[in-house]
Amino acid sequence: MENLKATLKEQIIERLNLEDISVSDINDDTALFGEGLGLDSIDALELIVLMENDYGIELANPEEGKEIFSTINSMADYISKNKK
Amino acid sequence: MITYIGSENIISPLGESATENFERVRINETGISLSKGIGVGKEDLYLSKIKSIPENNKFNVLLAKCLDSIISDSSANLINLKETIVIVSTTKADIQENLDTPIQHSIEKLKKDYNLQNTPLVISNACISGVLAMNTAHNYIQANIYKHAFVIGADVISDFVLFGFQSLYAVSNEPCQPFDKERKGITLGEGAAGVLISSDSSAFKKGPLEFVEGTSSNDANHISGPSRTGEGLYRSIQKTLELANIPSADIDFISAHGTGTLFNDEMESIAFERLNMNNIPLNSLKGYFGHTLGAAGLIETAISMQSIRNNTLVQSLGFQNEGTSGGINILTENLNKEVNTILKTASGFGGCNASAIIREI
Amino acid sequence: MNYINSYCHISNSAIKINGTISNSYEAMPIDEVIKAIYLSLDLKYSKFHKMDQLSKIAFLGIELMKQANPEISKYGENDIALLFSNSKSSAATDIKFQESYANGGIPSPSLFVYTLPNILIGEIAIRNKWYGENMFTVSNLFDAKYYAEYANILIKKSAEAVLGGWINVNEDKIEAFFFFVTKKDLKQLNLPLNTETLDKIYKGV
Repeated sequence: MENLKATLKEQIIERLNLEDISVSDINDDTALFGEGLGLDSIDALELIVLMENDYGIELANPEEGKEIFSTINSMADYISKNKK
Repeated sequence: MITYIGSENIISPLGESATENFERVRINETGISLSKGIGVGKEDLYLSKIKSIPENNKFNVLLAKCLDSIISDSSANLINLKETIVIVSTTKADIQENLDTPIQHSIEKLKKDYNLQNTPLVISNACISGVLAMNTAHNYIQANIYKHAFVIGADVISDFVLFGFQSLYAVSNEPCQPFDKERKGITLGEGAAGVLISSDSSAFKKGPLEFVEGTSSNDANHISGPSRTGEGLYRSIQKTLELANIPSADIDFISAHGTGTLFNDEMESIAFERLNMNNIPLNSLKGYFGHTLGAAGLIETAISMQSIRNNTLVQSLGFQNEGTSGGINILTENLNKEVNTILKTASGFGGCNASAIIREI
Repeated sequence: MNYINSYCHISNSAIKINGTISNSYEAMPIDEVIKAIYLSLDLKYSKFHKMDQLSKIAFLGIELMKQANPEISKYGENDIALLFSNSKSSAATDIKFQESYANGGIPSPSLFVYTLPNILIGEIAIRNKWYGENMFTVSNLFDAKYYAEYANILIKKSAEAVLGGWINVNEDKIEAFFFFVTKKDLKQLNLPLNTETLDKIYKGV
């Protein structure tokens, strides 16, 4: 689980081009959207692509992403339960 | 000096002239139909696709047909004059065939085939390109730089654009329903349309209308989501009304952009409400033609010009129940009334918005 | 009569302000040029890193112009028209987006949003809260006649000033040129806006 979280942080920084942010800036419970990391709607869609490409998890609609992508904890949790 | 506009034409699944398209729209026929297995996941999707023109070279064929039609509806040899410019509006041109040089070949071909004195001006400004192209023609004519402008716009359906909008979850799984409560996104379309804009009323075979004024404005908010307050659209319409010296009460009809996405239609309703234009009859024509991107502004203007000529406003197809927070007067059925002055609007990615006013002379 | 008040060139090996080299270096790849300018301007703008090359260069060009000519930032939010062109539209990003879904891949939403050339105008408008006129055109070569005529038109009609730009990224080569036009010769450069003058300063002769 800890490995997965560390990997996720790296993937998010790389895929979403968060150049000003390093892995140590993201806590497991940092809000990824809004006040926390400040991701936006296009980032959310790019995270859906990441889930499918890297973990084989397809989300039926972007609404589902809201909860899943709220923090690293919630993402890791969802991936470990649904990974194919 | 008056800027005249006329010789409008449309090429779409509904026909190959403005009158033919208007007759079909008037009986509320749509160009949208189901296409099998075309989505990024091979799903069936609705499109407004022209089946009568072969795929190969479609973009260039559309441009040429459009130009030919304006030429035949205007006085002889205008196209070859030094004081004539061709303005082309497109977002992705023939991207399916030319990924690396998307427009150059088409422009060189136009210049050669029609023996043009000036290189055509290509406007590629997302979904406002068509309205912007007319505004530009008007500005050139008022500045006395050109006397005549052949304004043509075209875009064709491609995997590129379809998959792109799918990646944004912006494509409806049903025919689009602009401004409706149940709207689920856009339906992609393809087509072309054109007008002649000129300082000379005798340039037109059939009586022209007046192109009064047109402007653009940016939301300065987000590149892919419209401003929640309709900021750029509000400012553009306000500026156009001001420069035209026309009170908003004089507008008989609004041809809105109305893509059928949640945020776009909501934004438009707010901008119109802020301008106190709630009661002016309004439609979106996307339910007939789909979203034709660089052609949209011109197709919708040409239909609106037909509305002026026929004193008939057409129903906003796909709309049933109010689904925006700004109150607007959406046409739920055709309306026969005297139509003198119309407002055309458009909004697009990059936060861009444009508006234009056309009226009967 | 309108005047060019400042202008800027960016290439792989130099930044020139008003025709004078302000920074030169060994020719670098595009991404390194972008990074060097971004760092030199000491900007903290997290959205910058999400942009494609075209938008990044346009964004930095305008920041360099503002630094060289603080007058630009004094104009009202509706006053500045943005007039941009290039020769290849968004082809560089178009190719990347196409690659994302070719061979059964998933199309990338963050690439798709940059597959329109006027997005760079949006990025500049957002950064500066500029609500003025916008226009993006595509032409084979830098068309000084078009820019001069149309900038004059926009200023006569409704704008107080025009920021023009020509930005191409081709293979690994940057060609970018920006200019600022107003009704007065604020900087006493004595460059009235016309085709000849604009062509001359674009070519740097």
